[in-house]
Amino acid sequence: MSTSIPALAAGAAAGGTRQAAGRPATPAAAVGALQAALAAEHAAVYGYGVAGAHLSGARRRAAAQDWQIHEASRDALAAMITALGAQPVAAAAAYRLPFPVHGGPAAVMLAAFLEDRVATAYLGVVALSEARLRLFGARALESAALRAAGWRGRTLAFPGLETAAPGPVASGPGASQPAPNAATPGASSPSPSSPGPASQSPPPTGTAGA
Amino acid sequence: MVREATRRGVLAAVVSLPLVATGCKGIGALGTPPRQQPDVTVVRDAIDAETLMISRYHAVLAAVPALAGSLDPLLQQHREHLARLRARLIEPATASTPAHSPAVAASAAAAPVPGTPAAARAFLRHAEQAAAQALMGKLTAAPPSLAQLLASIAASEASHALLLGPGRTA
Repeated sequence: MSTSIPALAAGAAAGGTRQAAGRPATPAAAVGALQAALAAEHAAVYGYGVAGAHLSGARRRAAAQDWQIHEASRDALAAMITALGAQPVAAAAAYRLPFPVHGGPAAVMLAAFLEDRVATAYLGVVALSEARLRLFGARALESAALRAAGWRGRTLAFPGLETAAPGPVASGPGASQPAPNAATPGASSPSPSSPGPASQSPPPTGTAGA
Repeated sequence: MVREATRRGVLAAVVSLPLVATGCKGIGALGTPPRQQPDVTVVRDAIDAETLMISRYHAVLAAVPALAGSLDPLLQQHREHLARLRARLIEPATASTPAHSPAVAASAAAAPVPGTPAAARAFLRHAEQAAAQALMGKLTAAPPSLAQLLASIAASEASHALLLGPGRTA
């Protein structure tokens, strides 16, 4: 039932890895990479709406600011795709969250997760041969990495190329299943010194659909 | 006797013929290293930059050991950058690489390092920003997959600079 709802991760992950092979710069390659970035921006706009609802004070303001940035990026990408003669991909009505978000810590993790996915999508744009697009992708990748570091309080060695240590994903079915707070053990145990996936939860099977 | 000599001559001619026919420079071409590709130069420069950055972190940590807790994770990521870049470079062991790194390290060691935590963090922050910017400048000279790696490292270094900013603890 929830399979028709796209996962927040799907668009970005596909776009990032596809372009990694580095094919010659055809308009189709540019359109594909930009569409993947746009899909990731759509997901980020949705996801920040969820995250912001669980945050307060300075963090809520930060989420609102980042949300606006992603809206602006979404519009810019749509314009670029239109200029290339293609139809920009539309946002989905809803997205499956990578893990349940019921409080501030999980909301912060969601924001960092969204930025990681956006970074991966822009890495696909970096693989394009056209210098202008490559630099555009690299700057957008850097911006996403900065926002992710701001949320996470730590940095990644290879933003966009690697995903961060998996978050605490407890309930498989996804956001449609209202899980109790106890189902997100990692969210309440920050442990900043151990980025490794020390928790017992396996990778989420619910978001595996491409 | 004569017959034998002739046969040998023919064999020699047959063996040498393909090399001549293909326009190959002969056996010598196998011995001389190929001319450096532009992207090899880009990787070399990036390796030098990472080596220099690691030297700076070492120098700062020697001067201000109290920063170890916050700097070690960043230093570790620079080591990962360096390893990933080195993996990109396939060259004979006798190539000129030894001439590279010690010189880079020496120049870093010679540079003075601020002795207070705040100044040392600012020193590294500026170095990270400059390194990220330098990598961004090399992107268009690189093939796609190398450009992705360089852009990712640049993004990592820019986020290092963010966490080294005033008011941050990391």
